Amino acid sequence: MFDVLITGGRIVDGTGATARHGNVAIRGGRIAAVGDVTGEAARTIDAAGKVVAPGFIDPHTHFDVQLLWDGAARPALEHGLTTIVPGNCSLSLAPLKAADRSRVVGMFQQIEEMPPEAFTEAFEWCWEDFAGYREAVARHLSINVAPLVGHSVIRLWVMGEAAQQRAATSDEIAAMQDLLRACLDAGAVGLSTSFVDIDENGRPVPSRFAQFAELDALCAVLGEWGGRMLQCVPEFYAVDLTIARIDQLAELSLRHGIPTTFSPLFDSTQAPDNAPRAIARVEEQFARGARVWPQMQTRPIDISFSLLRPSLFFARLPRWVRVLRQPLEARLASLTDPETVERMVADLGPDGGERMMGGLVVRGGDAAPQAYVGRTLSEIARERSQLPARALIDISLENGLDVAFLSAAQGHESTERIGPMLAHPLMHIGASDGGAHIASFATYGDTGYLFSEFVRKAGALTLEQAVRKITSETADIWGLKDRGRLQPGKAADVVVFDDRTIGRGEERAVFDLPGEGMRYVRDAVGIDAVLVNGEVAWAGGRYADARSGVFCN
Amino acid sequence: MAPAVRLSRQRRFITPEPGETLETLAARVLPDLSANEAAEKLASWNLHIFLLRKPAGLLLGSDVVFIEPPLG
Repeated sequence: MFDVLITGGRIVDGTGATARHGNVAIRGGRIAAVGDVTGEAARTIDAAGKVVAPGFIDPHTHFDVQLLWDGAARPALEHGLTTIVPGNCSLSLAPLKAADRSRVVGMFQQIEEMPPEAFTEAFEWCWEDFAGYREAVARHLSINVAPLVGHSVIRLWVMGEAAQQRAATSDEIAAMQDLLRACLDAGAVGLSTSFVDIDENGRPVPSRFAQFAELDALCAVLGEWGGRMLQCVPEFYAVDLTIARIDQLAELSLRHGIPTTFSPLFDSTQAPDNAPRAIARVEEQFARGARVWPQMQTRPIDISFSLLRPSLFFARLPRWVRVLRQPLEARLASLTDPETVERMVADLGPDGGERMMGGLVVRGGDAAPQAYVGRTLSEIARERSQLPARALIDISLENGLDVAFLSAAQGHESTERIGPMLAHPLMHIGASDGGAHIASFATYGDTGYLFSEFVRKAGALTLEQAVRKITSETADIWGLKDRGRLQPGKAADVVVFDDRTIGRGEERAVFDLPGEGMRYVRDAVGIDAVLVNGEVAWAGGRYADARSGVFCN
Repeated sequence: MAPAVRLSRQRRFITPEPGETLETLAARVLPDLSANEAAEKLASWNLHIFLLRKPAGLLLGSDVVFIEPPLG
């Protein structure tokens, strides 16, 4: 008697083998048999005409806080993701002393754009160490979690204020090593660090104050533990810097026998040599025996924003950032002060923002006047006889700031270029940033987009190659031995989908965060069912009450 | 032991020692130049630190500091 029998599907088992028709039997949370298997089952899922594949794995997320109130990391799970890696980019929610919580929350807010209520209203802080965080999250998981521990929080625990001021002493480095050992013991799959991130005050995060010797000492611990992962976010905007980081990661990989990964690697049609140069360096380092996996996302860069909250869109306009970071009343005062507005518009240069803002499109679905929805700011500004930057401010003020603008395809948008890169044998498909930048773009549906854009439309990968990339390859890179393949004995993480329709839904704004915070999401398209450790977690367009997710390492 | 693979030439870089400044870095990297000239050169090769960063010139232990201009 099986617990579940999935019948009549095309089995794409994650290894890259050609799809074949058959059944998948599950018992006790594990794959019991695959292929020509029959028998009684407590539950049968008819997969005729559908693909049956291992659950997808997302190696770059920031669901650390969301997991405390939402064990499915919605809507990640409904897109077929059964395992996620939080704790990237040097930040995790443990180990973290109570006294340092507000400092790390500020860093998370800077990165994730979560409202403050997400940290104050949705859960109780009942942990300091990594084991405590694990316990707090594990209570209600429906998705599997393979967490990294953040270098910045390890540094903060050991050094306090000085973590954002100076190099560590040898005693402090030894204390960090011990703390990392405790985190690995409590279930961390590796360490994350960052060379670019800043906190909410614009100050570099603690990991950036570390000498290479400190990172080297921490990687020695990853080596002691059988070769755990080091993840980093490099200066992805400059290829010489990215290559320098690739070389540093290669040294650490070779010295300590560890895998390393960096994310993101973006392609740019403005600088078409950059991504290929980075990939060429990765190839050279792999030839030396180093493991330096670049992560590339599938989706183009789209950014949406309104003046209701700060946005990444204004990152290069410090005055705009300062104005938009203020509380609502002060922000409105600034946006209605003629002198301030004049300076803000002047910051955009002589074209008044035509180049940077002219292509923005009014999204709609909020307080935007219907007559503007779907039109570019350039066109609207001309109609209003205004410069684009001033039109943006005025339209926002006229409508309670509740007007969202979309800056579409800001980079990484050429399917013809990106397809072959995604198919490259050393390219790690990831970097979704799931759960981060939530008020700027939807970080869900990248796997659906892989199939719709790069398998169906462009033919850059076969169905089997695409499935392998986001299942067994990812599991192997991360040492998740139990996951990523539909083979007897493996954990029964399974997704049933229609390869003719799988994709990602339209990006839409929802207000489902604690404190009615806003975020952009995309619904799943073409996914029939998602099973996590043998339990149906999502099917027929609905979440089930499964609590079968685990910490896996 | 890593296989003997010849890496292609890329821009050379160093990382700062604790307490180093642009001036001490410049003296370390370009000892044959005058202090001013060395600092100017180093700054121009590392705009990510000496121009784009706020505050400009704040040196961090993890920084990559290029010790030559971009390769042609």
